[in-house]
Amino acid sequence: MDLILPYLATLTIFFFVYNILTWGLNIQFGYAGVLDFTFITFVACGAYFSGVFALGPGQKSTGFEWILGLSWPFPIALVMGALAAGLLGIVIGLIAINRLRSDYMAIVTLATGTVIYGLVSNYTPLFDGFDGLAGLQTPFSQWLNINYNQFTYLWVGFCGVVMVICWFIAQRILNSPLGRTMRAIREDQEAAEAFGKDSVRVRLIAMSMGAVLAGVGGALLMGFIGAFNPAGWTSGETFVVWAALIVGGRGNNWGGVVGSFVVAVLVNEATRYIPPIPGNATLIPTVRNMLIGASLIAVLWLRPEGIIPEARRRFYQLPLLPGRRTPAEGVGSAGS
Amino acid sequence: MNLVIQSVGFGLVTASVLALASVGLTLQFGVTNYINFAYGTYLVLAAYFAMALSTRAHLPFLLAAVLACLAMGVVAVAIAKGVMQHFVSRQAPLFYLLIVTFGLSLVIENLVQAIWGPGFQTYNISVGSPLNLGPFSLTPTQLIIIGLAVVAMVAIHLMLSRTSLGKAMRAMSDNKDLAQVSGIDTERITTWTWFITGCLAGLAGIALTVTTVSFNPTSADSFLFVIFAAVILGGIGRPYGAMAAAAILGIVTEVSAVVISSTYKDDIAFVALVVVLLLRPQGLIATRGKA
Repeated sequence: MDLILPYLATLTIFFFVYNILTWGLNIQFGYAGVLDFTFITFVACGAYFSGVFALGPGQKSTGFEWILGLSWPFPIALVMGALAAGLLGIVIGLIAINRLRSDYMAIVTLATGTVIYGLVSNYTPLFDGFDGLAGLQTPFSQWLNINYNQFTYLWVGFCGVVMVICWFIAQRILNSPLGRTMRAIREDQEAAEAFGKDSVRVRLIAMSMGAVLAGVGGALLMGFIGAFNPAGWTSGETFVVWAALIVGGRGNNWGGVVGSFVVAVLVNEATRYIPPIPGNATLIPTVRNMLIGASLIAVLWLRPEGIIPEARRRFYQLPLLPGRRTPAEGVGSAGS
Repeated sequence: MNLVIQSVGFGLVTASVLALASVGLTLQFGVTNYINFAYGTYLVLAAYFAMALSTRAHLPFLLAAVLACLAMGVVAVAIAKGVMQHFVSRQAPLFYLLIVTFGLSLVIENLVQAIWGPGFQTYNISVGSPLNLGPFSLTPTQLIIIGLAVVAMVAIHLMLSRTSLGKAMRAMSDNKDLAQVSGIDTERITTWTWFITGCLAGLAGIALTVTTVSFNPTSADSFLFVIFAAVILGGIGRPYGAMAAAAILGIVTEVSAVVISSTYKDDIAFVALVVVLLLRPQGLIATRGKA
């Protein structure tokens, strides 16, 4: 019991964080049709920036160096991380999003991600290169005087609160005129432009808003783990979020919840606690990655809309007054 | 200065590898009209085939390399028929195809890792000592790679201009529907295209891993978008454009490795990609309706 509860709490934290990530990708791809193949870069951006805002200054002499190091309270650092990710979303969006074919969007996002990965890994003054950030005190712990297990439960609650806020943001965008415009552009970019919608601008907004949620998720991971380095955001991690969104169902946020539970929690995180097979330590992660790749293909093959399909939307119709005929009936009676 | 001239020589080697890979990708991109994100893993898979055939089955390296390329061609056709065909025949949206190839790359990369392990592998061949040729200093292996690329490019040129297969491929690349109503068996041409793509990816993968000496399952990951840069710079579906772009990018990346830093040489290709997308998205040689 002493082991199972913290374990379940850890899984719950990952579930909450992956919900936020999947909603973020849903805003980008599910709402607006932006093929962001470097989603994990925004997660990393949120994690790194929340880290350097919350951590103390890095010291080159001790082998730890990073920018800023302001020792700000974690909630403010989280907001800064989210904003940094949102800004990065605009920058990458400006390069990737244009009126060209959608493969270009995918290629440019993937390439940008690879370049940023290389820069961050090799240029140590930024975020300490391959070693990454480390040594972040568990937020609130000293202030509340709690131990690590208690912190885990506290973090479940904190992530839960942040997740609920993110849910309202994601739902609000989905049901707003902006969300409607995003879906229109996703379905038919040219038709939407013919109606005067600036598709590049709207997609940039979607890219940036999705990146903000990615940044929030990254910051929550940073706060929980206390360290972050390039091994944590290889391009393979992007597949996990993509698989969660595609398997669960894109275009609606409940699909994201189901997908993040099935793919991110059951397949990706829970299997990390299976003891490694003697003599072949990398076999389980390898099989896990193959499963994630195969699940993407299988779902698009068998049930392309995902477990929970996007609801068909109807135009709002005026409630019919008693005795008033529907247009269809009117046509029928006119002929008789 | 001497070092810069030297690096032009290495640039020719990189350009040769890049030309093999990007011509293979652009031919398929032109004919099927979607990009294959798993292409980088094709390069790696062929390298592992060649390694397995030469070091484990003890075949002579050249024979192993040829067999590995042909095997990669067959695998490419099998993937196209077994997986991609399902989505293409149902006229699935473009992003389905992109995500499927994205997923395929994860599956193939991890399959390679499951079979051969994540560690670095080498071929049991010696690269030879460098020969001084004018200002350049290249190993015999590097000269063979340059020669091989030239021969392959001439062969591709002859195929595209002289054979009915090549002409049909160009016709499909220009306008698939028109090609189909003109009596071209588009399915057969597509199959051949995948075979040729696979073989070229195999050649490129083996050439790449011979020049880098050691390789692991993720070796082609960053090279993939140098290939993408060459394909877009050359214009989608334009093999001659891809050849020219490969020559430019190969030399520019290697010279920049000396002038700036070898750590950032792939970033130069990325800068080129961004500049092309912003200024001339249709590529050096434009293809109408494909930008």
